[in-house]
Amino acid sequence: MDSSNQTSQLEIARSLVTALENNDEQLAAELTLSLGQSQESALFREVGKLTRELHDALNNFEVDARLIDLTENEMPNTRDRLNFVITTTENAAHKTLGYIDQTLPLTSELKKSAEKIDESWHRFRMKELSADEFRQLSKEIEAYLPIVKQHSEQIHANLSEMIMAQGFQDITGQVIRQVIDLVGEVENNLVQLVKVAGKHINDKPKENKQVDPIKAEGPQINAEDNPDVLNNQDEVDDLLSSLGF
Amino acid sequence: MKILIVDDFSTMRRIIKNLLRDLGFNNTVEADDGLTAWPILEAGGIDFLVTDWNMPGMQGIDLLKKVRADENMATLPVLMVTAETKREQIIVAAQAGVNGYIVKPFTAATLKEKIDKIFERIDS
Repeated sequence: MDSSNQTSQLEIARSLVTALENNDEQLAAELTLSLGQSQESALFREVGKLTRELHDALNNFEVDARLIDLTENEMPNTRDRLNFVITTTENAAHKTLGYIDQTLPLTSELKKSAEKIDESWHRFRMKELSADEFRQLSKEIEAYLPIVKQHSEQIHANLSEMIMAQGFQDITGQVIRQVIDLVGEVENNLVQLVKVAGKHINDKPKENKQVDPIKAEGPQINAEDNPDVLNNQDEVDDLLSSLGF
Repeated sequence: MKILIVDDFSTMRRIIKNLLRDLGFNNTVEADDGLTAWPILEAGGIDFLVTDWNMPGMQGIDLLKKVRADENMATLPVLMVTAETKREQIIVAAQAGVNGYIVKPFTAATLKEKIDKIFERIDS
């Protein structure tokens, strides 16, 4: 009840007391009625206030609706997307490793044959080769050259495939960017929700949360800013040697 | 020399396997976490354990502790290859009796250096 309303009600009440003391029944009845009316208008104001609050609450439900959508649809979808990133990077890595496995023996074979021919060629230049040996060397060179061509082509093809396999970066990058956007949206919605709920809740978030200091966290992001994190193998080695390792 | 490689990512197992092959270690077996590694270790014949830390099921640090607590495996050389780089974690691993600690991403040279160092210490 506001103060002007209170003042006017007090005035009416005082007039009512005076009217009753003066036995003015008609005035007393009128004053009683107007007191009741003022009470009713206060009731209407309260109803109005509640209606507004209800309206606001319903509007806030729109935030909740998006949150429900995020929880029910977007989140499972995001899990799928992130699993897709794991599968895609895994496939790309295996593909690349596979081509490397195919290529290494080719280079070893070329190296081995070249070393053998190089040695004979050197002896030929030093005039140390017999005619038979020279014929043998000629045959080896003749056989070697097409192999060099063939293997080089294969190595070139394998390297091209390895280049193509790096396409995962683009694909997974796009998916991860979508996930970053989604996380941002969830964060905003949660902040809104906390603001709405915060009107009724005064509890502050619990501090001094118990954390396991050795819980596995995977690769550290922004490690430079965290004094508890070592940045490279050298720092790890230094720490271990300080422990008597 | 039979080496058990434990990592939940098959590509990392493959990379480690290839690097070990280049270093002359051809006899390797693989497991994808501590739980699947344990029966292989219990079956015997493993001379060297290379393990990641962060894995589903049983983590590498728990596998290390389990190995050290088992009288048959207490002296098995264990090399940790992991992305876990918190000071506290490395101290705990050292206290648990790890023989070497390599942080990912790592190089072939680092792997060779740490393995050489482990065997040097064992031989001396």
